[in-house]
Amino acid sequence: MNAPPTARNAALSLEGAAFGYAGVTRVEDLTLEVPAGAAVALIGPNGSGKSTLLRGVLGLADLTAGSLRVLGETPERARRRVGTLPQADTRDISLPVSLRQVVTMGLYRSRGPLRPIGRAGRAAVADALERVGLTPFAGRRFGELSGGQQQRGILARALVSDPELLLLDEPFNGLDRENRETLLRLVRALREEGRTILVSTHDLEIAQQSCTHVLLLSSGHVPGEPGHPAAFGTLEEALTLEAVQHAFHDTTVELDQHTVTTTRETE
Amino acid sequence: MQAVFGSLALGGPSLAVFDPFEIFALPFMWRALVTVVILAIAAGIVGLFISFRELEFVSDGLVHAVFPGLVVGAAVGGTAALLPGAVVAAVLAAVLFTVLERRGGVSADASIAVVLTGLFSLGIVLVSRQEGYVSQLQELLFGSLLTVTDTKLAQVLAVAVVAVAVVLVTWRAQLFRAFDRDGAEAAGFRPLAADLLLGVAVALLVVAGVQALGVLMVIALLTIPLAVSRLLTRKFALLIPIAILVPLLAGAGGLWLSFEWSVGAGAQAPPGAIVVLLLVAAYAVAAVVRGARWAVRR
Repeated sequence: MNAPPTARNAALSLEGAAFGYAGVTRVEDLTLEVPAGAAVALIGPNGSGKSTLLRGVLGLADLTAGSLRVLGETPERARRRVGTLPQADTRDISLPVSLRQVVTMGLYRSRGPLRPIGRAGRAAVADALERVGLTPFAGRRFGELSGGQQQRGILARALVSDPELLLLDEPFNGLDRENRETLLRLVRALREEGRTILVSTHDLEIAQQSCTHVLLLSSGHVPGEPGHPAAFGTLEEALTLEAVQHAFHDTTVELDQHTVTTTRETE
Repeated sequence: MQAVFGSLALGGPSLAVFDPFEIFALPFMWRALVTVVILAIAAGIVGLFISFRELEFVSDGLVHAVFPGLVVGAAVGGTAALLPGAVVAAVLAAVLFTVLERRGGVSADASIAVVLTGLFSLGIVLVSRQEGYVSQLQELLFGSLLTVTDTKLAQVLAVAVVAVAVVLVTWRAQLFRAFDRDGAEAAGFRPLAADLLLGVAVALLVVAGVQALGVLMVIALLTIPLAVSRLLTRKFALLIPIAILVPLLAGAGGLWLSFEWSVGAGAQAPPGAIVVLLLVAAYAVAAVVRGARWAVRR
């Protein structure tokens, strides 16, 4: 796989950007520049607009205000240079498709409807599987893999087209410790080769362990009313107790050098 | 013809077992067999995505919507216009149902149920205004595998080829979308376009199948082959071959049995119904095989 260009220009630049669907804004007032090669943790409680922002970067949520450039292009044009790992609940794991078939799907768009996958395509699939450590499972039915293996399989599907920007939507949800560590190592390795990564999570520990930057989105956004502004910066700048408490304003947050815990207050 | 009835004389009417090769050499039986082969191939390929996308109920809706199209076609242009009329109705209904289904939830199912019964009733009203409607209704409801003319056969072939072509050309979009809708959309596919085209392909398969099995039984052709296939194999590459083989055997077997019983035993044996019974029997056998395998593995 070719290392993506580590250009100094921004991988993502948003100016006063707001995103939503059918005219309803879900997340707004985002002004930030994500440098190429950064790994950004999108942190915020449920409903803070993490997934909407990720879909916005793909051009699938409406840009209701402001401007957005993805890898220097419009989101639609940039999409072929972007790999995604959508949330796990959108997959139909009852289908009898193999892991290899699923990873090959990552090439479907570039190949068009009829062009054969070919030797180069098969090699790219094998590389992507190797990359995520699933080569021995290539022929296995996707639905029979463990949750962690499925996530890595979908990551391989994103990697097979050698993307410059990776969007990972809650990839760590429901993973046990071991699978979580494996995926964390992978995210770090991908960042080190210069790929830009946006990973949404509500787990602050993941941000600390694998990311260079953090974007904190707050909960309880009411369109039209001034909400808590999103905080963006390097881990040291943005991941402060005050900012996190701001984002999770109905939650108790404890933050020290090693651990971050957010506990939803019970009513 | 002579040769076939020769064996009838040898064996005696009640015990006659006709040579299948001779039976299918009869022009009307040959056309029926070719129809079965075309439908089996189309059902195996299009049916894969009916099964993957769990579109069985929507397909049933399409079947009912095709009915008034058949009736209007027949009223306007006679038998030759049956299929063209149905194609128009089916494509319109496919678009309508895809949009309704996209809304999802209980309201979508309710809307489809309302639309399908409404269209079916419309078909009944329209057909009952015509002369000799009882026999015409019977043919539309139960199919007429043995009266397939060369023109109808050509129409069935054309419609089936288009249905299969639509699925093959959109294959990658359909498979990606069936497995992971959001992933497919993020990769740049348009799920609505894939859904609409699949709806049209299913509608065309319905139109082709109605000729053989009638409005009431064509749903068996759309759903049972893949259901059997998914029970029998876990290998993706075998799904379609098995799903083609099942209706092929049921179709040929049904035609043969129907001929045996009608000519040999003098009993009324509508071939469409026998084909469907054989399909259901195949499903039952597959379910038993699957159950036995499961028991052995435990």
